[in-house]
Amino acid sequence: MHADITSMLGLDVYTQKGIFVGRVDDAVIDPEQGIVSGLALGNINKELFDHKGKGVVIPYRLVTAIGDIILMRHLTRNGQANREDE
Amino acid sequence: MAKVYAGDIAGKAVVTIEGTVMGDVDNMIFDVNTGILVDLVIKPDAELNRQKYRVEGKFILVPFSSVCAVRDYIVVDDNRAIKK
Repeated sequence: MHADITSMLGLDVYTQKGIFVGRVDDAVIDPEQGIVSGLALGNINKELFDHKGKGVVIPYRLVTAIGDIILMRHLTRNGQANREDE
Repeated sequence: MAKVYAGDIAGKAVVTIEGTVMGDVDNMIFDVNTGILVDLVIKPDAELNRQKYRVEGKFILVPFSSVCAVRDYIVVDDNRAIKK
């Protein structure tokens, strides 16, 4: 399935376990490989990310579905991302 | 070439290797599953011969594989950009 870059902008990103990650501000392009290499997120979930910056870039390979929202893999290696253990 | 934000590419001028101005980047089309960029959506210059390219509404589509460089301008290889 093909989609426009601009159609992703403003979509909310959740993990597959339903945790809100952030909102898509921009896409990161690798012109050499001709791929979308990442998504730049703003309005990020402060509980997930332990830094003060405005946003984060998530690798596009973690994205599993794009529709009305965007789903990405739930990373358990990051202790803060794994809310079930709390 | 370093990685760039899509928002920085949008609105940039597209020129061919020969130096012809094609227009401005409006959007990009990519494959949702692989992330591979498929097409560049260009708002064509008024003087451009659109017949050579795939036309979609008031835009033209150029395969991303024809893109040679992305810097201050987007440089496109015209031979690979024209529709077969």
